[in-house]
Amino acid sequence: MPRHRRLSGWTVAAAVGAALTPLLLLVTLGVLFVSAWPAVVWNGFAFITKSVWSLGNLYGGTAIVRHGFQAPEGAVYGALPYIVGTVLTSLCALVLAVPVGVGVAVSLAEHARGWLGRALGFFIELIAGVPSVVFGLWGFIVLVPWIEHHAGPDIAHVLGFLPFFRGPVLSGQGLLAASVVLAAMVLPLVAAVGRDALLRVPREVRDQGRALGLTDWETLRDLVLPLAGPGMIGGVVLALGRALGETMAVLMVSGSGNAIPHALYSPTTTMASAIVVDLDSAFTDSTGMAIHALAELAVVLMLISVVVNLAVPFVGQGVSRVAAMMNAGRDAG
Amino acid sequence: MRTPPARRLRNALAVTLAWTAVCAALFPLLDMAALVARHALPALRWKVLTTVTSGISGGLANAIAGSALLVVLAALIAIPVGVLGGTFVAERRSGAFVRTVRLAADVLAGLPSIAVGYFGYIALVQALGWGFSALAGALALALLMLPYVVRTTDYAVSAVADDLRDASLALGVDPATTVRRIVLRAALPGIVTGVMLGVGVAVGETAPLLYTASWSSFMPTGRLTHSPVGYLTYVVWTYINQPFAAAHALAYAAAFLLMVAVLMLNVAARWALRQRS
Amino acid sequence: MAVREVADGPGGRPIATGGAAGLDGALASPRRVRRPDDPQGMARPAVAAEAAGTAPADGGGTVLSAVDFHLRYPGLHALRGITLDLPSSRITAIIGPSGCGKSTFLRSLNRMNDRIPGIATQGRILFRGMDIFAPQVDPVALRRRIGMVFQRPVVFPMSIFDNVAYAPRIHRLERTSAGMWVRVERCLRDAGLWDEVKDRLRRPASALSGGQQQRLAIARALAVDPEVILLDEPTSAVDPVATGRIEDTLLRLAGRFSIVIVTHNLGQAARISQHTVFFLGGEVVEAGATEEVFSQPRDARTEQYLTGRFG
Repeated sequence: MPRHRRLSGWTVAAAVGAALTPLLLLVTLGVLFVSAWPAVVWNGFAFITKSVWSLGNLYGGTAIVRHGFQAPEGAVYGALPYIVGTVLTSLCALVLAVPVGVGVAVSLAEHARGWLGRALGFFIELIAGVPSVVFGLWGFIVLVPWIEHHAGPDIAHVLGFLPFFRGPVLSGQGLLAASVVLAAMVLPLVAAVGRDALLRVPREVRDQGRALGLTDWETLRDLVLPLAGPGMIGGVVLALGRALGETMAVLMVSGSGNAIPHALYSPTTTMASAIVVDLDSAFTDSTGMAIHALAELAVVLMLISVVVNLAVPFVGQGVSRVAAMMNAGRDAG
Repeated sequence: MRTPPARRLRNALAVTLAWTAVCAALFPLLDMAALVARHALPALRWKVLTTVTSGISGGLANAIAGSALLVVLAALIAIPVGVLGGTFVAERRSGAFVRTVRLAADVLAGLPSIAVGYFGYIALVQALGWGFSALAGALALALLMLPYVVRTTDYAVSAVADDLRDASLALGVDPATTVRRIVLRAALPGIVTGVMLGVGVAVGETAPLLYTASWSSFMPTGRLTHSPVGYLTYVVWTYINQPFAAAHALAYAAAFLLMVAVLMLNVAARWALRQRS
Repeated sequence: MAVREVADGPGGRPIATGGAAGLDGALASPRRVRRPDDPQGMARPAVAAEAAGTAPADGGGTVLSAVDFHLRYPGLHALRGITLDLPSSRITAIIGPSGCGKSTFLRSLNRMNDRIPGIATQGRILFRGMDIFAPQVDPVALRRRIGMVFQRPVVFPMSIFDNVAYAPRIHRLERTSAGMWVRVERCLRDAGLWDEVKDRLRRPASALSGGQQQRLAIARALAVDPEVILLDEPTSAVDPVATGRIEDTLLRLAGRFSIVIVTHNLGQAARISQHTVFFLGGEVVEAGATEEVFSQPRDARTEQYLTGRFG
């Protein structure tokens, strides 16, 4: 069928705008990969197996040469502590955020309707917008001392028979503080996606449960949650993705430890924090390898985040971070 | 016949736990707001808003101006590209290109902000030779904002009923004009929400700016390259670590301003969404 | 611009007498269509130029006709060999049970079906003698001549005034804002809506009731000076009082425009149309003067449908 398609300037501009998204993504990935390449070659697999990270002697000494690339004397780029730190803080954050987030989702979807639900929804969504440094500020001023003087010793006292929870608590900055702050930050994602998943379950299901004489809780547990579950998992995965990439708040409360964290209170560093901390020094590396090594760190972090975020459509029924943040603003109930 | 007490008890327990979760979730926000307000309000004098930082004290004028400059520049880049791109994808509806753009937007939204900042450092500050600059910082922020604007525009335009499009076409109006005059107008509340979302993301970022915009204790000079700028989030991060009370006061003041900005953006976004009905 | 002179014709009905129908070659693309053998786009379809000078002097001509027209969706042969003539300046009702192809056929008349992927058509549809599927015909321009009102009331997210003025502005039909006001008032009066909205033209159209929104849609369609108005079950989503108002409107417009209305409502078809076409299973079963089709149907199936035995 003949069709007159006039290519107006607007259509072309819109197509270009659309094309810019994948293009910019590719450029970003490309630049990072290219920048990381010398370090990848120089480090080999030691990057993810060695647990010592040092930029080496930046002021002199003889450079170590490997595979044609130079690095300062004494430089070792073992990122294992940072990788473990990142994964561990994120997972612990999830352990805290998921139950609380699900609880919030249930409250918003099942119990709080009308103006209360809307008000609560607004505040929960507000959390998602608070800048990460402000969370870090609160964590540093309020949370860390509390862990140091109260929560830390209490937990060590009660659960100290398990090596992971044994003291000493030290300064309060460490894995626990970072996990709590991260949990507080990502739980709006779990809550928003969870609430939407619950709301999407048709009301007939709940009516059926009540008609059978089940209490609200039993209806929820046995009928509604199994239906909403898959959707909620999408929120959990999104939350994980967000936690992995978080930088500033964690940096301010995690204690900048250089070893693999072995206990709840161990000072630790995530990959993102490590990049921020080391980049100043990296400028002064005359071989330039420090910059490449940090790029490699960024690449590894990026790969982990991308894989997690890509899992969302498969795991979570068409959820996306953007949709979750948008829906968090929609009226509850 | 009543439900046995054991089951009623469990029901009550479940409800209690759910509400406890809500309290636990809101506690950090409220405690944080109280903390910041407590320390910031005494420190917020007009002088603070109009002087620049010097050393470890002074004012926030340069940081406020810098944040505003960075966000405005980033928005100027991200909004046109995002709205045009999102509209294109929503109107096109299917095909490999559409799928690619949507996937790319989701991946971009998930990139750690430090990685984007690092890219900015390598590509813009170094390779393109812009040096630490407002433009580099703004571009990094734009990259972070873009996926939000694209996807929310996509959702908003896709949600416009075909009825509306058909009615315009039946009047002999061509498809492109239909999109511009009718569809976008109908999708506007959703698009505005997305823009607010993106701006909120940009306002709160620190990591990507550290090595693109760097820091400056002076007001923005108007030069977009080779001239670093300050921004509020930097003040919060650096000044709270200083052992001086004056520095802390500035950090709290900056945190307060940031929270107020986020609050206003959220309120505006909600208002825009309500315009939809 | 088209000027229609109205006089009394047989039966006391107003009919158009003279004045150009305003085709002015506008069936072809308003922007020049460049083809390999005509790089400046100077050619105009001969038929349109010919038709520009003459309009049927009485209402007895044919405005639209289908010649062995077929339409296939993927997996469904929706229209089978449709051949019929639609009289100009009359109201034609297309009736038939659900799914018989009436709406599909209606939407083919102004090429709204172009937008559906996977559609295939065969045969011809002629608008004043010219094949609307011919390569040099621009569907966008066609739809100015042949307007459509849909089943569900649709209003643009703008004021009442802007809704009506939307298309005339884009087509630049008026040079002054005073002219546009005159046009908007005329169309709202023709649609029978003026008295109800004249004090709130700047208010959002979404505040109108369903029946009012449908009349607004009619006013909107009238605003671009079409020759034909197609209506797809315009009163099925609207209350009975509003239905009556809309039917009155259509009766008033009948002599000046050619109206084709798809309807489920046999009473409506009998009330307002002069010509009726009965569709069944994608085919035309019977077509003729409404009175004859209703009182003396030639086909047994028509009789069965009219007496409510199916559909």
